Amino acid sequence: MSGLLREARFLLRDRGALLWLALALLLSAAATGFGIAEVREQRATIAALLEEDARDRADAISKQEEWGGAAYAAFHLAYAPPSDFAFAALGQRDTAPWLHRVRMLALEGQIHEADTKNADFGLIGRFDFAFLAATIAPLLLILLLHDLRAGERVAGRHDLLVATAGAPQRLWRPRAAVRFGGLALALLLPFWIGAGIEGAGLSKALAASGLVIGGLAVWGLIVVAIGRFAAPPPVLLAALVGLWLALALLVPAVSRAAIETAVPVPDGAEILMLQREAVNDAWDKPKAATMEPFLARHPEWRPLGEVAKPFEWKWYYAFQQVGDQQAEPIVTAYRKGRLARDAAAGWAALLSPAALVERGFERLAGTDTRAMIAYEDHVRAFHADLRAFHYPLFFRDPPYDPVVFEGLPRYRPLP
Amino acid sequence: MSAPLRIAREEWRLWARSRVVLVAALIVAVLLAATSVLTALRLAEEAERRTVRQASAEATFFSQPDRHPHRMVHYGHYAFRTPPPLAAFDPGVDAVTGQSIFLEGHRQNTAMFADTRAAADLGGFAALTPANLYQLLIPLLLIIIGHGVVLRERESGTLSVLLAQGQAGLAIAGGKALALAGVAGLFLLPVAVLAGLSLAGGESPLAAGLLVGGYALYLAVWAALVLAVSLWVRQRSVALGVLVLLWLMVALIVPRIGINAASAAIDAPGKIESDLVMLAEERKLGDGHNAADPAFEALKKQVLEQYESESVEELPINWRGVVASHSEAKLTALMNTYAERRMEREAAQARIVTWFGLASPTLAVGAASRTLAGTDLATHHRFLRESEALRFDFVQGLNDLHATALTYADDAARSSDPEAEKRTRINAASWRLLDSFRFVPDPAEARAARAALPLLLLLGWLAVLGGAIVAGARRLAP
Repeated sequence: MSGLLREARFLLRDRGALLWLALALLLSAAATGFGIAEVREQRATIAALLEEDARDRADAISKQEEWGGAAYAAFHLAYAPPSDFAFAALGQRDTAPWLHRVRMLALEGQIHEADTKNADFGLIGRFDFAFLAATIAPLLLILLLHDLRAGERVAGRHDLLVATAGAPQRLWRPRAAVRFGGLALALLLPFWIGAGIEGAGLSKALAASGLVIGGLAVWGLIVVAIGRFAAPPPVLLAALVGLWLALALLVPAVSRAAIETAVPVPDGAEILMLQREAVNDAWDKPKAATMEPFLARHPEWRPLGEVAKPFEWKWYYAFQQVGDQQAEPIVTAYRKGRLARDAAAGWAALLSPAALVERGFERLAGTDTRAMIAYEDHVRAFHADLRAFHYPLFFRDPPYDPVVFEGLPRYRPLP
Repeated sequence: MSAPLRIAREEWRLWARSRVVLVAALIVAVLLAATSVLTALRLAEEAERRTVRQASAEATFFSQPDRHPHRMVHYGHYAFRTPPPLAAFDPGVDAVTGQSIFLEGHRQNTAMFADTRAAADLGGFAALTPANLYQLLIPLLLIIIGHGVVLRERESGTLSVLLAQGQAGLAIAGGKALALAGVAGLFLLPVAVLAGLSLAGGESPLAAGLLVGGYALYLAVWAALVLAVSLWVRQRSVALGVLVLLWLMVALIVPRIGINAASAAIDAPGKIESDLVMLAEERKLGDGHNAADPAFEALKKQVLEQYESESVEELPINWRGVVASHSEAKLTALMNTYAERRMEREAAQARIVTWFGLASPTLAVGAASRTLAGTDLATHHRFLRESEALRFDFVQGLNDLHATALTYADDAARSSDPEAEKRTRINAASWRLLDSFRFVPDPAEARAARAALPLLLLLGWLAVLGGAIVAGARRLAP
């Protein structure tokens, strides 16, 4: 204990070390602040759109006189609100869409719509707390710890200190512990304040803190292992920076390239082309060519499945659905491919502490690939609810009465 | 042989004997070569595939059967953004924006299927591309190799010997600068080769030359920074620590802070958000599918007067087609207003990020590199504008057919009368009105003009650091 206090006093007089810690504190505050601002912005967007969406739908329906027209005109907002922990890791929310406006038409033509933000954002990436903790913090730790012993060697005190300390561990351990603790605290303090402001659960904040400390501990062990070599500080530092570069940047980038080669994903453009061909060909095909596959999937409408006129709404929406059905094999392969890539990335992340921490944060924040795919599945389920609501109206064709639309399915975000 | 050259030669000799330097340089060289080859192959394949797809989309459109022209408006068409030759070096926003757009009536779709959506997620680091390696890795290599160029002489006591022999500090600094420049020059080879290959792909020498020049400037900035720190700091470990910290700030932190700042300063709503606001306005324009919509009363009056007719049934042209054409034009004007507003905001954000180049040469060279390669945000915006023009042309062409090639009576009865429906199908030869579309980036002069600001920022950095080197060299003392 006295060792820790002594080292803490030393640390307070060591301007170089204090600079690193102050920098860590500043970066953490910036990352947390930006993260909270972004998440609030997204929530405000969703709130504003929800109001606008309800108004727009009522307005659209008010101008219609038949069931099919109303279904064609009414859009429904689907969204994935940022979790209370998303401020720490925006993850896939910058590239994958978290907003959709869907209607009764073929879903494949709608769900892949990207709500594009500025492309530079996705390219350069954001400075969020997960990036700081996973990638930047290890380098700060290296800069703090690399000259524990070597610094004393350069100052000419090393042998004297080791000789008077009795056990050398009693000398180095408190020093390393104080610097390590200082860095962890400087990183985590703003983050904890941010978690408090956002109301992120205690369990998540603790798990995230564990991730940060665990990740740093791995790097700390690496530094200690390298530090045993009696090389001059610059050589040690160069070696450590090289290791950091390999583990934090190159291994993830190379694994990513390897995974994307090894696990092919069908080209998304194929989905759209197939779906579009299917939907548009239906206009020229005999009605039975559409109604057969539709009724095979929805046998309950077989008694009312007769199409007599050149155009009927039930046939129109049937071929929208059949277009989706034709694209199903590719859609399933696309979804499976993405999940397989993500699973492979989970294994590959074991090779890189930085990737592991970042993925851990995204998992906690619900901004990882799996969460985004779960959101897409949820939108699909909502579209199925919409179809279940509308099909009785199209097939039974009761007299038009807009009051029925008060019973329209409402989109509820995933908890 | 002049003194600086001799000093530089000694430095090269030392590096050639140092295992650390050789291993580091070798690793970077292998990585760079492998990445260059792989990226070039991938992009060539990608360009090939998109060109084929563009042609096949056109062929498919032409081969559609006889139809009602409005069916073809909804059948739509695709525009593909073919990557330019220099994308093999810097793919830029290609992976983020998606590569194709579905063009149809009444809507402006977004570009779809960005590669990043199906990417394996391993954290926040960008994909391996030659441009990324140049921007991040080679500076770090220069730091590891060169942080001690002057300090080593100081620590081994040879600096006082050199100075005592009457070597000016400037000559020593000049020699060390030459030594670092030699290494940087060696590492410019891959970008020079890739730029040379792009000439074969039809890239202009101006853009390719400027790209190599931009990276030469960037590496010169880093070499100057390394030398300046080595001159001003008195301990090697401190020098290395300071340089690594600077690298961390300049290469990783400031660019991302720039993104955050741009995002916080300018709220650029996403497309879904602005579409919703737009829809509310759009509903006031009337529904082009419904010729009886009261929104078209004024138009009706005007057209009836023009043809001296009493009612739409008497008109020599198909009133429904007139409405379709009129409402598409109005709607497109509205959509373009919103699209331009969105792009303007994104461009404003990009300007903020570019100005962060004052604090980060990495950001500046990235902006210049993407611009010169034709893979920057502005080029993507041009793609959006051009594909929109293509969309509007073919949709309005079809609407003209709708107005002139069908009768109003048939068109109105087609949903209930199979015979009338048959008469509303027009000959498939008419689909030839679709223009062929091949996307090419801006001419090299325009790209060079856009890249001028970031390149000037790099020059400014070099000038400031040059001043710091001269000042440090003048006060060089053992």
